[in-house]
Amino acid sequence: MDTGLQPGTCNVQQHLSRRSLLKGTVLTAGGMAVANWGALTHSQTIAAEAKRTGKRCIMLYMEGGASQSDTFDMKLGRPTAGPFRSIKTNVNGIEVCEYLPKIAKHADKLAIIRSMKTKSVDHGIGGYHMHTCYPSNEKFPHAEIGAMIAKYCDNPESDLPSFIKMGVLACSAGSGYLGPQYEPFSVATDGTLPSFANPNVPQDVQDRRGELLKFMEEQHAKEHRARPFASHREAELRTIRLMRARKAFDVADEWNKARERYGNTQFGRGCFTAVKLVEAGVPFVEIGQDGWDSHNDNFPVHKANMSVLDPAWASMLHDLQDRGLLQDTLVVWTSEFGRTPAINGQGGRDHFGRAWTVVLAGGGIKGGQTYGASNQDGFEVEDKPVDEGAYFATIYKTMGVDHRAVHYLGARPIWATPEGSKPIPELIG
Amino acid sequence: MRIRSDSHQPDAPARESGFAHPRVGTRIPLLALRASVLCAAIYFPAGAMAAETVLRDTIDREVQAGWEKEKLAPPAHSTDAVFLRRVYLDLVGMVPSYEEVNAFFNDNGPKKRELLIDKLLADPRFFSNQATAWDLVLLGRNPQGILPQQRTAFRKWLATQFEKNEPYDRIVHKLLTAEEENSQLYYAQFRGSADDTTTSVMRVFLGTQLQCAKCHDHPFDIWTQRDYYGMTGFFVRTLVVEVAGANNDKKFVVGEKSTGDVTFTGSLSGTKAGEAPKKTPNAKAEPVKPKFLGGAELDEPELPQDFQEPKLKDKEVPPKPLFSRREKAVEWITAKDNPYLAKAAVNRIWAQFMGRGFVHPVDDFNSSHEPSLPELLKTLEQAFVAHNYDVKWLIREIVNSEAYQAADVGPSEDAMPKLYERARVRPLSVEELLASLHVVTGLGVDSALKSMPSKDMLQYLGQPTDGQGTFQGSLSEHLFLHNGDTFRGLCRPNKDNLPDRLLKSTAGWEAKVDQMFLSVLSRIPTSEERDRFVSYLNGEPKDPKVAAQRMEEAMWVLVSGSEFRFNR
Repeated sequence: MDTGLQPGTCNVQQHLSRRSLLKGTVLTAGGMAVANWGALTHSQTIAAEAKRTGKRCIMLYMEGGASQSDTFDMKLGRPTAGPFRSIKTNVNGIEVCEYLPKIAKHADKLAIIRSMKTKSVDHGIGGYHMHTCYPSNEKFPHAEIGAMIAKYCDNPESDLPSFIKMGVLACSAGSGYLGPQYEPFSVATDGTLPSFANPNVPQDVQDRRGELLKFMEEQHAKEHRARPFASHREAELRTIRLMRARKAFDVADEWNKARERYGNTQFGRGCFTAVKLVEAGVPFVEIGQDGWDSHNDNFPVHKANMSVLDPAWASMLHDLQDRGLLQDTLVVWTSEFGRTPAINGQGGRDHFGRAWTVVLAGGGIKGGQTYGASNQDGFEVEDKPVDEGAYFATIYKTMGVDHRAVHYLGARPIWATPEGSKPIPELIG
Repeated sequence: MRIRSDSHQPDAPARESGFAHPRVGTRIPLLALRASVLCAAIYFPAGAMAAETVLRDTIDREVQAGWEKEKLAPPAHSTDAVFLRRVYLDLVGMVPSYEEVNAFFNDNGPKKRELLIDKLLADPRFFSNQATAWDLVLLGRNPQGILPQQRTAFRKWLATQFEKNEPYDRIVHKLLTAEEENSQLYYAQFRGSADDTTTSVMRVFLGTQLQCAKCHDHPFDIWTQRDYYGMTGFFVRTLVVEVAGANNDKKFVVGEKSTGDVTFTGSLSGTKAGEAPKKTPNAKAEPVKPKFLGGAELDEPELPQDFQEPKLKDKEVPPKPLFSRREKAVEWITAKDNPYLAKAAVNRIWAQFMGRGFVHPVDDFNSSHEPSLPELLKTLEQAFVAHNYDVKWLIREIVNSEAYQAADVGPSEDAMPKLYERARVRPLSVEELLASLHVVTGLGVDSALKSMPSKDMLQYLGQPTDGQGTFQGSLSEHLFLHNGDTFRGLCRPNKDNLPDRLLKSTAGWEAKVDQMFLSVLSRIPTSEERDRFVSYLNGEPKDPKVAAQRMEEAMWVLVSGSEFRFNR
């Protein structure tokens, strides 16, 4: 999908267009600056504009680094192989780990990139690089992928935040140069809201003082037209809307029926909530699964993690398809890096960026394929290396975001992906 | 002919009050137009005839010329209430207290604004506020590896400089030589990286963005990689050592080695932005000679043949270098004829009070970036140097100008109108917000000065703008306002704070509401606002608990709205 944004688009213009939308609301609602205060419906202008996008992204982030050799790029019979066996999938010629039986049935939806070759091979720097597409040593406030997608795929009609993180600690870059409007809204791994999102005064007080605040804002807005005031009022509106819409995070009743399928885990519930949230219009949700950093006992650790991952991820893909959301919802499975093919003295595998695997599905990705290859023992990429730039550019392309969109921090230009980054056409259906 | 005060005639008015003053013959059409706009404007009669009053007139003349050129309607003069709140926030970092508001409103003297400015410039809060502002310029919001107590000591050091009214070039000299106790934090943040040091020194003090020229010749400017590596050569030998200080504290010492060069492989010119660097395989990295930006190469004595750099132990400070490159850079940067220092400084100080620099962003002077009012920039630069880099003097001139005292209303929607045709709108910093909350809830100035933003407050209110200074409201900020305890806690009637005193007061509700508005928003409520708040606070039933709850809510509304959030 084309967002209509050209290379060279700067955030100021984007703000202007967003503002003009809001102005539309104000005018159609009767000329009062905050006439639409707290309302859940919006003008035709915004509804029409919102149809421009419609792409969503769910990112499953394996904190600590998931082993490619024990999941999607197994080296059976080689010295670097572990004890796990592989199983057939619903695609001829693609096999995955035996502990991913449910996801194996969705292989026709998956594009498995077996040739990731990345540079930042420790947790802090790797988490940063795989969230922002830039190395942290540039000491620049880069924006996370979630903020970028929030900016370009946000539905202004939605009462919900545009960038939601569930229990992810791997990167705290946030919205960086894109500004606080696109900061992540952080909730727990299972998708439940932080306490500060819940009103600390009763609803009648909330309403009563809200009316008085609305009155004061209207008084002030009569003469004060500068944008910061409008931005402040808009954020207040969004906050009240979020507090009213926070029921979207409350999936308790439905979860009772879904938890058998997703696995009765926090991560499973997070995945289920994410489906509900993208259905409600949230453009980006990231869910963290921690505990993959298996320097010791790699195999028990991975087996346990996959038992949590497999049903949740597979049920998510199933439900997205079932609800007609999969074609517009990209599901990413990734980490800060992979793990060494070599097995260390503690039965562990260490950090490894030279040849590892990520998986994309839905959202216009051409499924049922592997892309690139590591060599026979998995130490190097043998075919079609994919660096951070190509990986991000591919995601942005499928989301309809210009991967070379430029913004400015002060005088310095910064692009969504670095110079020379190109989307991988074979991955896009 | 306009009457100019720089003629130094004893009977000439000290101020050119061309904004509303119908004395100037040749400009009658424009002034007539203005008179209709400016019915609320206050005319300032002739002030003292000190030579210092000249610059503010030049400012007004040039700003006014900018409006005429662009056919912009001149703004009205700010009301007393708007001016008062603005100047308190800008000079002392917090809103005025109820008592201070009343004192100003009750003063009918013709020079009350000028006198207030003098008073605030002598207030210790001015020094600490300047220190807070410069601390943020120098270190940013989240510098790596710096402890809060180290930062507090650095701010104190900065405040001392402003208290002594140390000339700006001297402050820069001290920061860059980093020999005074607690002055070292500026370097410490770079952890010995010559790239980071050079980039920051060029940007902060010289208003020049050189970092693009690290990897390729600058795309929008004349700078080449030779310029970048030439400047980096001055800082490549600098290192920062963390040593044990008094009371088990750690402190930083900035030292310099006698050897070490910036090296570069390949051709030092001609790489355009977007091209891969021109590197020859197996080429030897060549040392690059230090070179002053836009000037000559450094004339440097040869090292003695047998010189050996002393081997340093961990945390050992090196001896003084045989020849200090950094010293030469500092001499050059702070020389009276440095082509960048004063220009960058006046642009930044101007922007601190006027919202937008003549060059915007403030640290991006470049050859393809024409300043908005070039003549005025030049005048300020020259006057600043002629006044021995006197920061306080410059600030006094700026805030006494009609341009600074322009009204907060007008047709422009810009936060920072390009030609200053309306006062800028800027969010309060988290420090200003917290201090102001203490002031308006009646806890007093001392309490405000001691307040420190919590981690939550820094997180949710610490960085309210995007990279270009544009305010962006965020969900987290408002969730914090709504549901966090900081704002609500301060609004709750408690131990003789303002809400508590208002509840206990026997005054009528209208008087109480007036006091609330004067305390929080530095103004009298409109009659509509007064009625609304009286009925809100004076509701049924007459239960003290209900009354206290309502009082808290009304206070919360006043501190949560747009009017309180911004300095306008």
